[in-house]
Amino acid sequence: MSRVLIVEDEAHLAQGLRFNLQAEGHAVEVAADGETALERLVEKKEPFDVVVLDVMLPGQSGFDVAALLREKKNYVPILMLTARGRPEDVLQGFASGADDYLPKPFELAILMARLESLLRRSMWMKDARMKDAGSASSGTTGTVRVGGQESGGDSFSFCGKSIDFAELELRTLGNTIHLTVMEAEFLRYLVRSEGRVVSRKAILEDVWGLREDTDTRAIDNFVVRLRRYIEEDPSQPKHLQTVRGVGYRFVAEPE
Amino acid sequence: MRISSRRKAIAFFLTFGVCLAAVAFAVGSGWIILNWREGIKVFLGIIFFGAIITGLVLNTIFLVREIRRNEQHDSFINAVTHELKTPIASIRLYLETLQRREVDESQRREFYQSMLVDTERLMGTVEQVLKAGAMAQKKASGQRIPVDFNTVVRECVELARTRHHLLPENLDYRESLPQSGPQSGNARVLGDPDELHTAVTNLLDNAVKYSPGGVHIAVELDAPGEELLVLRVRDRGVGIPQNELKRIFKRFYRVRQRPRVRGTGLGLFIVRAIARNHGGRVFAQSEGSGKGTTVTLELPREVSRNTA
Repeated sequence: MSRVLIVEDEAHLAQGLRFNLQAEGHAVEVAADGETALERLVEKKEPFDVVVLDVMLPGQSGFDVAALLREKKNYVPILMLTARGRPEDVLQGFASGADDYLPKPFELAILMARLESLLRRSMWMKDARMKDAGSASSGTTGTVRVGGQESGGDSFSFCGKSIDFAELELRTLGNTIHLTVMEAEFLRYLVRSEGRVVSRKAILEDVWGLREDTDTRAIDNFVVRLRRYIEEDPSQPKHLQTVRGVGYRFVAEPE
Repeated sequence: MRISSRRKAIAFFLTFGVCLAAVAFAVGSGWIILNWREGIKVFLGIIFFGAIITGLVLNTIFLVREIRRNEQHDSFINAVTHELKTPIASIRLYLETLQRREVDESQRREFYQSMLVDTERLMGTVEQVLKAGAMAQKKASGQRIPVDFNTVVRECVELARTRHHLLPENLDYRESLPQSGPQSGNARVLGDPDELHTAVTNLLDNAVKYSPGGVHIAVELDAPGEELLVLRVRDRGVGIPQNELKRIFKRFYRVRQRPRVRGTGLGLFIVRAIARNHGGRVFAQSEGSGKGTTVTLELPREVSRNTA
């Protein structure tokens, strides 16, 4: 059984969601605004497995809430639910730290499937963590190699940093950064096309599945964040280079 | 993000306009100083530069206004999107739930009730948008019949009480029509009963909507003179800042506040259009934020002629 927090000010929607999630056997709590949600998640540190977050809330917007949660190092999976379905809004949702984004009106089956997939992922992460604790830390340190090679598991190491795609973690010397699902997917995409230039358009299509006249500049927010994670000096990027007028190139081992 | 970039645009064009005007002014002054002995040149110079400066100032003002209007239009689209999609999302969710799951009888009834309320909300938004569109186009509607405004207000108050679950003491209606004299008890208005209904309902809905801390509304119908009917809707809600008292009647205009209140920014615009169509007017008074609002609707009274 998982604990789900629904942050939604529309009572009817919250009620309907609660009914369905309870029918699936989850424990459901409802918060009517962002402030209450933040209080429960951050101050009281209540454990939730997934948060369904509306964007148009009466006080702080869902974007603010997601960003604040991530800022406070709370990495609970977030599914954003909103009437605003334009590509810019979707990207802003992901940029603020959401793991998934669903425009209203949604199909119940799709919503449930997406929630289940988020829950499944956090389950896997929990399991993996327990295994790690069991076999000391040998498992994780084993994958860290100097050099740009994809190692056995779902991870990638370069220049003393290692990205664990399964656990959504980026480990640098003496520091572990938690990634959102989209950050990890974006990194994975960059790593796969290492050394090659990828256009903003290709990134949008392949990572986010978005098409056509989307404002491709929105990716830049992601790039800025990733640079903060992996670059020694984010203003002088060595790994994640901008190729003017085209897009980006990931280089594992710059000369 | 979008709004702040627009603010920047406004600041830029404002500065740009002011700078250009200042340059034009400086050059103009120079011209006048250099040529002050030659009367005709000075005269032409003053006119020429005066025209340029006026043009620049007017242009800047116009531009800033246009940017503002655009911004309001954007937020209107956002609000309407939200107001349309949310009830649809809710209805759809309940329908799919009923289709997919075993739902017991009491729960089912609750779901139906929720869907009905959502349908009503959807209908309200659609009607408001359509009405605002129609209002913006027509000047005065053709149909004009004598309407008893007292009955209209009474019906609207009853409706609002049921719809918002209010007790009579929370939404109080008082009429103080003169009981003697030639016009005793007459509250007739020459107009369209549906429009008058809409106007009063919009005022009541606003009063309820902007009273988050508890609803205390006093509605008063008065006839101060032979030819005037005055309806006052007084609430003890969030109030309105002085400088926005006039703007709230503009199309799409909404007072910025948190927590955000549902709405499209069309309600009062419709009320004003209806008031004007009937030869009346509407205005708001408020002591300021947090001190409640009184909206006054004045309509010309239909003076009953001696039919005998």
